[in-house]
Amino acid sequence: MLASIGHGAVVIGLAVSLFAAAASILAGRSADAGLAAAGRRAVYATWILSLVACAAMAVSLLNHDFSILYVARNNATTTPPFYSFISLWAALEGSILFWTFLLTGWSSLLLYRYRSVHAELMPWATATLALVAAFFFSVMTWPSDPFVSVTPVTTEGNGPNALLQNHPFMGLHPPLLYLGYTGLALPFALTVAALVTRRLDAGWLRVIRRWTLGPWIFLTAGIVAGAWWSYEVLGWGGYWAWDPVENAALLPWLTATAFIHSAIVAERGRSLRTWTAILVVTTFTLTLLGTFLTRSGVVESVHSFTQSAIGAWFLGGVLASLVFGSALILWRLPDLAGSGPPPALVSRESAFLLNNLLFSGLAFAVLFGTLYPLVVEALGGERLSVGAPWFDRVSAPFFAALLFLLGVGPALPWGSVSWPDLRDRFVVPAVAGAGLMVLGVVAGVRGPAPLVTLGLAGFSGALLIGEVVRAAAGRARSTGERPLRAAWGVATRNRRRYGGYLAHVGVLVAAIAVAVSATGAVEATAVLAPGESTRLAAYTVTHDRLVQEPLAADPRVFETRAELAVSGPQAAHVSPALRDYPNSVTPIATPSVLTSAAEDFYLTLLAYDPESGAITIRLFINPLVAWIWVGGAVVVLGAAFAIWPQRRLAAATVIAVDG
Amino acid sequence: MTQTAPLPPPARRRAWGPWLAVAAIGAILAWLLFSGLSSALVYYLTPTELAARGEAAVGAPVRLGGLVLPGSVSGSATDLTFVLTDGETEITVHSTVAPTSSFREGAGAVVEGTVRADGVFEADEVLVRHDENYVAPSDYPQP
Repeated sequence: MLASIGHGAVVIGLAVSLFAAAASILAGRSADAGLAAAGRRAVYATWILSLVACAAMAVSLLNHDFSILYVARNNATTTPPFYSFISLWAALEGSILFWTFLLTGWSSLLLYRYRSVHAELMPWATATLALVAAFFFSVMTWPSDPFVSVTPVTTEGNGPNALLQNHPFMGLHPPLLYLGYTGLALPFALTVAALVTRRLDAGWLRVIRRWTLGPWIFLTAGIVAGAWWSYEVLGWGGYWAWDPVENAALLPWLTATAFIHSAIVAERGRSLRTWTAILVVTTFTLTLLGTFLTRSGVVESVHSFTQSAIGAWFLGGVLASLVFGSALILWRLPDLAGSGPPPALVSRESAFLLNNLLFSGLAFAVLFGTLYPLVVEALGGERLSVGAPWFDRVSAPFFAALLFLLGVGPALPWGSVSWPDLRDRFVVPAVAGAGLMVLGVVAGVRGPAPLVTLGLAGFSGALLIGEVVRAAAGRARSTGERPLRAAWGVATRNRRRYGGYLAHVGVLVAAIAVAVSATGAVEATAVLAPGESTRLAAYTVTHDRLVQEPLAADPRVFETRAELAVSGPQAAHVSPALRDYPNSVTPIATPSVLTSAAEDFYLTLLAYDPESGAITIRLFINPLVAWIWVGGAVVVLGAAFAIWPQRRLAAATVIAVDG
Repeated sequence: MTQTAPLPPPARRRAWGPWLAVAAIGAILAWLLFSGLSSALVYYLTPTELAARGEAAVGAPVRLGGLVLPGSVSGSATDLTFVLTDGETEITVHSTVAPTSSFREGAGAVVEGTVRADGVFEADEVLVRHDENYVAPSDYPQP
């Protein structure tokens, strides 16, 4: 019954989104307000329909309705309700369903927000979004139907993927990532509308940039949450492996970040318009490519690509978006073409230009490393991968240059700058950078990569702080406010700029933490009988006893945990465990992580002997890792601050854009 | 006749700077991409494929997948010797890094490392995968 409702909602959703696209294209051509409203309402309807389908699936999962294949594969009667619910996105079909719900939700939000403005543009944006939605509805109608039934109906299901039900983070990381991915369809649709109607002015670019920043915030949070999940759940002591699945999320983030910066330049003059449009199309295409890579199985092997039709559909989607986007840009090239003098070599414009070159160069490198194995396998049949050291080596110079730029860029004036002025601005920050390097050496940081990172971060951080202090001091002088009050006043009067600075500071914090933790980690492996101890640096770990019992929350899961006493800089009783899930051949690591501001003490159980109670554990001291998550949170906070509506100006902007 | 001649375009400073930057970054990128690529490539092989490479396989990074032969595991966690098999060829593996929880006799295992001159596979990494669609190595295509 629920399966029929869900499947019906999907099929009707396909029809309604096609109708929305057709009505909106006609509305765009005829400027018929009635048709435009019909198209818009049809998009709202697709959101309701995908909500109905998601609800049908969620209820089926919670009720363990094993007559639906997806439920039988990803649920069991013993699965706790929370994990039953989040199994909605535990596998391919459910993920696409949830994805469609978020996509149509974002679309409805955008169309509702602009329902009575931008009458000329919105039908084209509506048509684009409706076509993207139609693509996803068609994927669910044909190659990846979430509501396929199965007979005979079993009394017990397979249960969700063991890795995905071992930690509540799985309820957080995919929705954030999907919100980012799906939201990036909005700038694409708005750009398509701008190109079709030749509305390529600064006001419209500002609108596109705002609607990019929203999804970008979720994408950033999703990537950071994914790294955190990997760190807390997998038990390998790391958070980023340059895995194709991780790269798939990073790629659109890199190009979207490039766009957020290039749009600032494009708004100011007529330069970088074409480039900015290319970045938007590329970003959207990369979100589709990411889904293709992670969902078609092509990463495991090119040959698994042919095993499911989903790969061909997504490859078609990638190509369609690429061809359509490029054709549109070529068609409007005369309108996009820049004019005006080139920027001075040392100016904020050229800093933005360099930023964009670096971000797109980095994106190209990551794409190359990710696709190279696929191409080799497709051509010659050999299976290989590009190792993480390659990615580290290739990306490091780019990240270093970006760290330098993210302080220098904001400190450089628009136009041109004189050398004495430059010297005055950069002497103190250079000293600060050198100071932070010395401090790092004193604190025990070794190796060129982390020290260079510290130097660059100190330099850029001092530049950013200097910018804020200068502006706040100016305001305090003229208004007589106290310094902090003046700084807040300055920041809230230009949210975009100071929110950006805050995001930059978050990047600096995370960069230091990544560089130091990647090079300064210490690890050891020990075999301990009950009562024995081992030492790593200042920590002592004593093995108390080995406990084996079923989990209280899910008795089908059998847990083997080592109860350990840790003493040293952080003292605690911890119990890293291995969990045996009935549907997993291998036990799932459940590491223990003790976190402090200085370092994490990370313990993971590798093996055990049930008779003697002896264990093999691996210990890591990972310095500064907590600051990666803090830095990520600051980036998100900064971006949110930047797009927070500026109350007094908000109304004026809408009028200006519309006028 | 001078009436119809088009006016020369207004003198404009040519924008060489950005193109130089593009060329420089492009060149650096190309150098970075290709300079270390061949040594960074890790081949995925089954024991039979590895054996077929003979002497040529010595020293090159390889990802070897197979089943841990029951009864072949000996030594301690940090000085471990075992045999990986695909049912056709058996390769002896030595590892000084303790295997992860996924390591069990009879179960699939993936190790990364190099073949020593004496034919023993020296593993320096036991792979951690977190792809939710990860297929156990026992499903590797059999030659």
